[in-house]
Formats: sequence, C-alpha cells, structure tokens
Amino acid sequence: MSSEIQERSDIDQIPVAARPATTPPPRPQTWVLKLIMAVTGSVFVLFILFHLAGNLKVYLPDDPQGHFNEYAHWLRTLLNPLLPGSTFLWIFRATLVACLCLHVYSGLTLWIRAHRLRGRHARKVHATKHHLTGRTMLWSGLIILSFIVFHLLDLTIGRGVESKDFSTKAVYKLEGGEVVTDAYSNLVHSFQRPEVAIFYVVVMVVIAFHLSHGLWSVINDFGGTAPRTRTVFLFLADLVALIVVIGNASIPLAVLAGGISV
Amino acid sequence: MRLILEVWRQDGPDAEGSFETHEITDATPEMSLLELLDRLNHQLVENDQDPVAFESDCREGICGTCGLDVNGVPHGPEDNVPACGQHVRSFTDGQTVRFTPFRARSFPVVRDLIVDRTGLDRIIQAGGTISVDAGTAPDADTLLVTHDDAERALDFAACIGCGACVSACPNGAAYLYTGAKLAHLALIPHGKEERAKRARSMIAQMQHEFGPCSQIGECALACPAEIPLLAIAAVNRERLRAGFKWRKPN
Ligand code: HEM
Ligand code: FES
Repeated sequence: MSSEIQERSDIDQIPVAARPATTPPPRPQTWVLKLIMAVTGSVFVLFILFHLAGNLKVYLPDDPQGHFNEYAHWLRTLLNPLLPGSTFLWIFRATLVACLCLHVYSGLTLWIRAHRLRGRHARKVHATKHHLTGRTMLWSGLIILSFIVFHLLDLTIGRGVESKDFSTKAVYKLEGGEVVTDAYSNLVHSFQRPEVAIFYVVVMVVIAFHLSHGLWSVINDFGGTAPRTRTVFLFLADLVALIVVIGNASIPLAVLAGGISV
Repeated sequence: MRLILEVWRQDGPDAEGSFETHEITDATPEMSLLELLDRLNHQLVENDQDPVAFESDCREGICGTCGLDVNGVPHGPEDNVPACGQHVRSFTDGQTVRFTPFRARSFPVVRDLIVDRTGLDRIIQAGGTISVDAGTAPDADTLLVTHDDAERALDFAACIGCGACVSACPNGAAYLYTGAKLAHLALIPHGKEERAKRARSMIAQMQHEFGPCSQIGECALACPAEIPLLAIAAVNRERLRAGFKWRKPN
C-alpha cells in the first residue's frame, strides 16, 4: 500500500485515520533539516565570535586605528602566499553564503511544516524564556538577514546607506609601510549617525535572542541527552548571547558617547 | 461553586463546530475536571439536550484516555497532571472555564472533545515493538542491566500515550512521545537488537504526521508522566546513530 503513495502531497488528501501505517516521510527529512540548521548555525556562532574579537580591537589602548586596519588587512590576505591575493577571504565568504542559504532554506521549510501541523484552537503558553526566543526564531532570523545586507552595504561595499565620509580607497599607512583601506574611520563615521548606531544596538539584541535559543537547539539537534551537557549548553547559550550583545553593541554606543573617534 | 463552562461542540470530523455556554451552580472544589463534565452532562440530559462527548477510562492517571484542553492548556491548569487528576479547586467562584479538544492538525476531532489519536499508534506500529524472537526466559544474571539503566528505561516507559505533548506543542510535534519510546527500548537488552531499524522507521512515521521540534519545552510541562525534555534529543540521537549503521537486509 505504501508504495502507491509516493508524494507527501497525496498523503495530505487522505484523512488521518485512514492513512497507511508506513508512509514515506517528507523530504528532506525533518531531522536532516534540523541537522543542517545546527551545523550552519554553529558555523555562524564561530564566525560571530571571531568577528567580535576583531571588532574589539577598537578598544586597544594605543593606536586602535592601526590595529583595527591591520586586522582588516590581515583577514583579506590570510594564508598568503599559499593562496594568492584575497583568495582566503573569498573562500571564507563563499562558505558563509552557502551556510546562510542552507540555514534560511531549512528554517523556512521547518517553519512551514510546523505551521501546517498546529491545530485550530487558541493556546495559552507558559511564560518561559524559550517561548519568547524560540517562537520568534524566524522573525529574529529575518531581521538578522536584512541586517546582514545593510551591514555589508554600510561598511564593506559602501552603497546606499554608507556615511558620507565612507571610502574604500587605500589611504591608511600601516606601520610596516603598506597602505590599506581605512576601515576604522568608515566604522566611526557610520556610527556617528545616531539612528544607525541605535539600529546596530537593537539588532545585536535580536541576534542575542536568536543565539540564546539557537545554541540550546544545537545540543538537542546533535542528540545530546546527557543531563550535565544539556545544563552546560543552556548556560553557554546565554553566555555567548550576552558576550555578543555586550561586546558588539558597546562599540556604536562608545562612538555616540565620544569615547571612540577618528 | 458557580462556574461558567464554555464547551466546544462539534458533531463530527467534518462539521463546523462552535462553543456552547453552560452554567454549573453546584460544583465543589474536590470534583475532578472530568466529574465537572459529568455534572454538566447530567444537567444536559435532564434538560433533554445532548451530553458532551469526552473520553475517560481509569480516572486515576494511568491509562492516558482522558485528554482535552482546559483554558487553552492540555489537561488543565496544573502542570504534569492528567485531566482526571485535576480539580475544580484550581478555579475561583464564578470563573469561566473553556473546554476544547486537544489541539493538533494530526488529531482530528471525532466528536465534541474526543479526538482521533491513532497517529500515535501508527508511530508504535512502525517499530515501537520488539519483534525478534527473544527465546525462553534466560537464566538470572545472564543479561546484565544496571540498576540505573533499568530505572531510566522505566522512567521513559512511564509515557501513557495521552497526546498532551502534541497538543501543547506550538508545532504539533510528537518528539517527546517518540523520544520516550525510543529511549525506553534502547536501554533494555531485547530492544537493542532492532535499535537502528526502529529509529529509522518510527522517526519516518513520526515526521509523516507530526511537526518538527523547535525545543520550546511546552511538552515536558504538560506531560502527566513527567517524561523529561531530554527525550526530544533522544529522537535526534537515535536517528543520527542509525544513520551511521549499515542497513541490514531484512
Ligand atoms: C548570523 C546569523 C545567524 C546565526 C548566528 C544563527 C544561529 C542559529 C542557530 C545556532 C540555530 C539553532 C539551529 C538548530 O536548530 O539546531 C538557529 C535556528 C534558526 N535560525 Fe538562525 N542564525 C542566523 C541567521 C538566521 C537567518 C538569517 C535566518 C532567516 C530566516 C534564521 C532562521 C532561523 C530559524 C527559523 C531557526 C529555528 C529552526 C528551528 O525551528 O529549530 N537564522 N539559528
Ligand atoms: S482517565 Fe485514565 S489517565 Fe485520565
């Protein structure tokens, strides 16, 4: 009987009670999508922490501008001379874009499946943290997605939303004598616009929400059943979220307050 | 105690359905929620109206037959207690109490507050049994099971299959249920033989009718058997583990 029914769309036509006991699951299977979410989500978490470490160079006591620009340049030319020019940066970017596509595709597919299968009556829920963060994953995700676009236009590409002083020209001379893009000044000029600075801060809070539920999901999706590991992850999820929001959001605030300037 | 009951009435799976409001004036705090519905049904029959259809059997929390949403929460306002074990004392005099059938696309309404929960049975049919010939009873102590494993297997086996986890879940997922069954059978010697095959087929069946898990945790708060939330991770663990095993020809 099951072999006659190949398509999931056919199965939706059969009343639940009359469905055969063994039927093909939806493809890609839910657990595969969850695994993709967990792997790509973890890649993003590592990237965010790596990115944060670079960003925090703006707080170095002596010559933050030099250190920050050197870091931006280092990222561009990593693994030179093994890979020529900015090859590493492009591999890095391609991986992130591939992860982003997979993450968004899986997230949307899961969300659609979930919404098709909930029932009709109103539900009162417990006021747990996971409700606030967990049920808004798609929305926080979509905000992050639009932020990524904004962020790239603002500080990498410089088109449409950049500050009037933005420049990709190599104008800054490093200690070694090399002349590189002045990423530091671009950052400061962008954050000197209060509405932009506030937007960055708000988005960091949204990312923290996404992360605090996301990392908790990761341990579940990788099948972590050991109670102690789960407790550690529950704690780690909030810790990482907190580090990301405090570390990153403090930069636009510091620029606004005049603590960081060109 | 006086209570206003708003009860979902629906003649059959394809009927529209709507709420009906009734007043109970002689409710007592020690009545269970099912006794409250019994009281309502007496009143309805006395007035020549149709009684409300709802399910119950043991009325002591062991069979999993009772299952309905009370004020939008599976089984009623208390966490981890079946409807038959919850009492009118949770409400205040004059309060409105709303009874709806378990909420999930996979649980179609049969009539009023009765839903069709056979989707859960189909997950069991797909592999939640032990079908190898286990032979005659082995000599004592030939199959060693540690005390901890036995206790944990029993904790997972406590699931009474009521379906509250599905109704509680914003995604209509049956992870807590399936995870409890998988974790239970994976812990005992006879269950280990078909462990990978069972994980593949039960999880395939589960995905067919029920939603994906988003780790929100409502299920474990509703579960009258107090199955721990880590059962949802057991689903993924068992499936990943099965993914690394070669398919055995059958
Ligand atoms: C830098 C950005 C991002 C990070 C660090 C991140 C991280 C994560 C992590 C760790 C998870 C948990 C994965 C799991 O289920 O195990 C997750 C889940 C999720 N993400 Fe993202 N994500 C990001 C961007 C996005 C974007 C752009 C979307 C857009 C749609 C999105 C949508 C979702 C959704 C819907 C889920 C929940 C899936 C579920 O129901 O379990 N995320 N994210
Ligand atoms: S009637 Fe048996 S558990 Fe409630």
